[in-house]
Amino acid sequence: MSKMFQRGQASITGIGELKPSLDAGGRTTLDLLGEAAGQAIKDAGLHKEDIDGLLVTPPSEDSYFLWPSQVAEYLQLSPVFMNMVELGGASAAGTIARAALLVDAGICKNCLCLSGGVWDKQVFNTREGKMAVMSQAEIDYDLPYGPMGFNSGYALIARRHISQYGTTPEQLAKIAVDQRTNAMLNPDALFNQKPLTVEDVLASPVIVDPLHLLEIVRPCSGAAAVIVSRLNNGSDQMHDPVTIWGFGEAYTHNSIIYAPSLTESPIKAAANRAFQMAGVNANDIDLVSLYDCYTITVLISLEDIGFCRKGEGGKFVQDTDLTYKGSLPCNTHGGQLSCGQTSFAGGMSHVTEAVRQLRGEAGPRQVGKNRLALVNGNGGVMSTQCCLILRRM
Amino acid sequence: MPDYKDIYWQKLATGKLWLQFCPSCQKFIFYPRGLCPYCLEPELEWTPASGQGKVHSYAIVNVSALPEFKEETPYIYAVIELAEGVKMPSNLIDCSLDKVHVDLPVELTFIERDGKTLPVFKPSEEA
Repeated sequence: MSKMFQRGQASITGIGELKPSLDAGGRTTLDLLGEAAGQAIKDAGLHKEDIDGLLVTPPSEDSYFLWPSQVAEYLQLSPVFMNMVELGGASAAGTIARAALLVDAGICKNCLCLSGGVWDKQVFNTREGKMAVMSQAEIDYDLPYGPMGFNSGYALIARRHISQYGTTPEQLAKIAVDQRTNAMLNPDALFNQKPLTVEDVLASPVIVDPLHLLEIVRPCSGAAAVIVSRLNNGSDQMHDPVTIWGFGEAYTHNSIIYAPSLTESPIKAAANRAFQMAGVNANDIDLVSLYDCYTITVLISLEDIGFCRKGEGGKFVQDTDLTYKGSLPCNTHGGQLSCGQTSFAGGMSHVTEAVRQLRGEAGPRQVGKNRLALVNGNGGVMSTQCCLILRRM
Repeated sequence: MPDYKDIYWQKLATGKLWLQFCPSCQKFIFYPRGLCPYCLEPELEWTPASGQGKVHSYAIVNVSALPEFKEETPYIYAVIELAEGVKMPSNLIDCSLDKVHVDLPVELTFIERDGKTLPVFKPSEEA
């Protein structure tokens, strides 16, 4: 029998994350990545020379060409193995799964997973900005009909879910409301000035029907870094290690137009694979960090992971307290919906927050039960999925 | 431009929507490709679409970042499921916003936009 991934060999030993900002202050993606990397190395009790693996998500504004090499040069790293992981919003979670494999295989002792980017407001809401994230097939056959990027893609999912299962706008809004309650206790959140109500969400402008402004993520600048290490990595072990207990990925489509289903996503297969590897199920999970570019993304994720049956997500979120105090704490940092989407690092924020919670370092928003966390990264329009199960040892 | 894109747009210019069909899989294909995505055979046939379909889902765009659409808002961006079994992005026209719904039967029509003839859909006569 071939060697299987061994649970417990690869652990998250360091995290670093910059406060999301609307203005990067003239700094580049490389500058932001370096600052986050420095924080993570320090957090892990390591020295820069201990880093022997580098997995980076793509840059937001620089050239992709030889990107890992560009990063290694800028930060003067000499990894024995490096690569760029491009799975859209799932890239950050994807770096963790791949780092776990490298560490488990004995290739790397301390693998630095880096993500971040600078948001360019000049480009974002333009034809050029929309085309930058489209495939050639989308440019040829979709763009002539005026799609609004991810907004219209997720609106198609929400509309079909509403029509098929009777999900209500109030139920979807509740997700943003609970996450804002969490964000009120996160000084780094972009939006933590005042709590939200369901009425606030529904009174915000309908950008692409049925999506309201306050159900849509706000792009911004930032970076986050995570170090995945082999046990006995030579560090001073500043924290209890958080182990990568399982992971699973799945893919069914690039453009949502051609997805096998609008309402059932590949998260289902990704989560099943992760559960199988970890030897646990949805009932064992203490908290979740779910990629939240839109409220509908969280609702579909909850259903497909198995916290409720397909179609019952609306009622589930209505009846479940998703805040840090609740029975299923979800996105306890406020999620991207309250923290902002720091380019590719938005997906890393779900990892860093899960690690804080599992370590018991989440301060006033610390959850009670914190043994096992599920993190999901989602890219495109429910296109690429990477599900991680993290466990405090 | 590859032949398959050329054929697709040329047929549209004469007011016809043609689809690729794989004789070995017996499946229709959208969007046009250089080979069948199911069996990877490069020999594909072209056949006229029936023009019948239904709205699989839709989004009403109230705010558009695309300059040529700013005057068009609100407009209906939709996924149409054609009778042939394939899905395609399109617009629903001649349909008031309170009439559109998931599974609405629609039929093919054409508009001119940006110097191109585009296949779009309107509610079926019998709907």
